[in-house]
Amino acid sequence: MQALTPNNAVKLDAKISPAAPAQSGASVQWAVVNDMQIATAFASAEVEQARKKVLGVTDVSCFPRYGFKGPQAAQWAADHELAIPSSPNSWTLSDQKSLVLRLGGSEFVLEDQMGGVACEKLSSISARVAGVYKVPRADAAFILSGSAVLNLFAELCSLDLRPSALLANDVIMTQVAGISAIVIRQTHNGEPVYRIWCDGTYGAYMWETLIEIAVELGGGAVGLASYQH
Amino acid sequence: MKLLTCPMNGSRPLSEFIFGGEYRDAPDQKTCSDSEWAAYVHNRSGAPGDKKEWWYHSPSGTWFIAERNTLSDKVSRTYLLSANTNSTQEQAK
Repeated sequence: MQALTPNNAVKLDAKISPAAPAQSGASVQWAVVNDMQIATAFASAEVEQARKKVLGVTDVSCFPRYGFKGPQAAQWAADHELAIPSSPNSWTLSDQKSLVLRLGGSEFVLEDQMGGVACEKLSSISARVAGVYKVPRADAAFILSGSAVLNLFAELCSLDLRPSALLANDVIMTQVAGISAIVIRQTHNGEPVYRIWCDGTYGAYMWETLIEIAVELGGGAVGLASYQH
Repeated sequence: MKLLTCPMNGSRPLSEFIFGGEYRDAPDQKTCSDSEWAAYVHNRSGAPGDKKEWWYHSPSGTWFIAERNTLSDKVSRTYLLSANTNSTQEQAK
């Protein structure tokens, strides 16, 4: 994790988070993380901690992602010592720091959490293997935390996402706020959170929608910095 | 809220699905007559009844077949096409 650019500066050779167009404001702190400009703080640490407990929304689009699919994809993952879920529509952690989502029988998405290096490792493999295809990912990704998170989902998603219905390692592909998204329930630093991925072109819309409801419910935007420690 | 059962993802609201038209067996284009082929390309049966239809679960990109009565709008079963190929053949035997 790097934090190189000063506040409110734009580094032109870095990518910009797909949710960034909806995150403007004088109080927003920016940094370049994994070559993507991302909001690291929206308010003081105390305010953000309070929001996180009720309903915090964090943009984590900068986490490295790697998609691959094909009839030999599962075997290829095993050859590269990647732990994969045994059934479709489920996820697992590989090396404790990389999230592996199995979207179908032969399609996978990998996302490095803080300190994970699996995506970098797989990206560096240039040899092409028959029956394995790389899938470029351009997702907007979010972490939702806090006690009111299910109230937010009740407004945006038709499915029951309570822990009794959404099991610990389930991957749900559904519609959130009217657009296709992937949802999982995860524990992050001991705290239960929900994760959402959607197409990057909907990033700003999704951010605006999540924040509007979060604010109504007593929460709000939380910067990436609160998950970096 | 109307629900439809995706064979891969389970019961989901109808708003997540896209209708893909009726599923029809194509005649063998190497052996059929021109009129049979023209009938396959151009003609559709609009009569209500039990139909096989293509449906698409858009969040997961799953195409599947639903057997639906177009008069009562009741779906009797849904399945992936490849998974059903064997069972259809078994029924034919």
